Amino acid sequence: MGHITPENLNYTKDHEWTNIETDIATIGITDFAQSALGDIVFVELPEKGSVIKKGDSFGVVESIKSVSDLYAPLSGEIVDVNNNLEDSPESINEAPYDSWMIKVRLSVPEERNELLSWNVYQTHCEKDS
Amino acid sequence: MSLEKTALHEIHISLQAKMAEFAGFEMPIQYSSVKKEVMAVRQDVGIFDVSHMGEFFVEGPDAIKFVDFLITNDFLNAENLKAVYSPLCREDGTIIDDLIAYKLSPEKALICVNAANIEKDWNWIFQQAKPFNLELSNQSKSYSLLAIQGPNSAELLQKVGLISKEELNPDFFPYYSIKQITKNNSSLILARTGYTGEDGFEVFSPSPEITQSIWKESTLNGAMPCGLAARDVLRLEVCYPLYGHELSDEVTPLDSALKWTVKLDKNNFLGKSVLSSYKPKYRLIKLSLDKGIPREGYPILNDKNENIGKVTSGTLSVMLNKGVSLGLVEKDKFPEDKKFFIQIRKNVLEANYQAKPFYKGGHK
Repeated sequence: MGHITPENLNYTKDHEWTNIETDIATIGITDFAQSALGDIVFVELPEKGSVIKKGDSFGVVESIKSVSDLYAPLSGEIVDVNNNLEDSPESINEAPYDSWMIKVRLSVPEERNELLSWNVYQTHCEKDS
Repeated sequence: MSLEKTALHEIHISLQAKMAEFAGFEMPIQYSSVKKEVMAVRQDVGIFDVSHMGEFFVEGPDAIKFVDFLITNDFLNAENLKAVYSPLCREDGTIIDDLIAYKLSPEKALICVNAANIEKDWNWIFQQAKPFNLELSNQSKSYSLLAIQGPNSAELLQKVGLISKEELNPDFFPYYSIKQITKNNSSLILARTGYTGEDGFEVFSPSPEITQSIWKESTLNGAMPCGLAARDVLRLEVCYPLYGHELSDEVTPLDSALKWTVKLDKNNFLGKSVLSSYKPKYRLIKLSLDKGIPREGYPILNDKNENIGKVTSGTLSVMLNKGVSLGLVEKDKFPEDKKFFIQIRKNVLEANYQAKPFYKGGHK
């Protein structure tokens, strides 16, 4: 089945997307991820101001029957949190690339080089499905 | 190890169901969406492939007496063509499985068991059968099982031509009873049972072709294909226990809210002597959360922050749109004030203790 993978974003193997503008990265989960999870019914996000390290769990998304950790694709301070998702977690299913979760001020900018480009990520998804 | 497939496997694939391993079978977990599937069963009708479940037939002069000896509930005095839910216990009272026994005739019974326990149950039952005059057969591989569930399930069965409207009248075909019907020269067992709390039927079929044709006819006539995820939400909303969660080798029926199935006044049955004087170690409780979703394994705490038990099953209830769970707490730590807390990751949330099931199904 086809999933949307915008060309202007970068990705992780854990199915997160990132959009980096200067030193701020906006982070969410991909169309592939929301489709694999099914109806998303609960989101737990960190507090604004907390600091995350690449690879750490920064929150969870839950479908009716499952709990999945969200892994930080980059290190830095969380400068903004999309708390609207707590009231309407289903928007992640409906529009995964509009439903950003956190914005991070990068503390290790070179980590961005480890992110996947859209075409590499697409190949990864084909293997994962 | 390759997974077993049911007679409907190709149909599930063609419907693009999410498939996953369950008890050695490749089973459909969900088709469209768990929410839609749950709603269909509560408000209309859904169809489930539960062919992974096990079927044992017991036949002979001692068949009924034997099943009555095996299980804690009363099978001997059940009327002909009745179904009886019961735990299956060891002599020490611990639960091997829970099952439904169907009285097909005064000399024949069908026992339907959980897929994950087929081998364990079969070995136990076979061993116990030696002194009895009967024949046992494990027909789990040749039988399919369909569950057709929901307020419009009776109407659907009529539409697909399985049974007439008159025969479906609950006065003559009540909940927890069966009818044996013939379709294309195959004998089917039609049971008014299920695992959803709604009116519904389970169809035992020895013919893959007939199973496929009932599935196709049912879905063409409006039954929504439903997966095992929806089935688990449905049973948890009405607080039915599940083996491996609320019930296990570690607990007795008296620990897990099944006292009503243990008939200590019965002549004799496996586990009777221990259960007669058993003091329960656990109590099965129902807890809901206003925010957050309880999950299996989460600690249950009292208001002094002491660990007193754990969640055995948890989900978001589709009907109530809140987290609901069953949990086992140590009986001597059951708080008098009925204040319970559930720990979700780092947060400790106050839970609502409920005496009654979270949702009341519509079965008669």
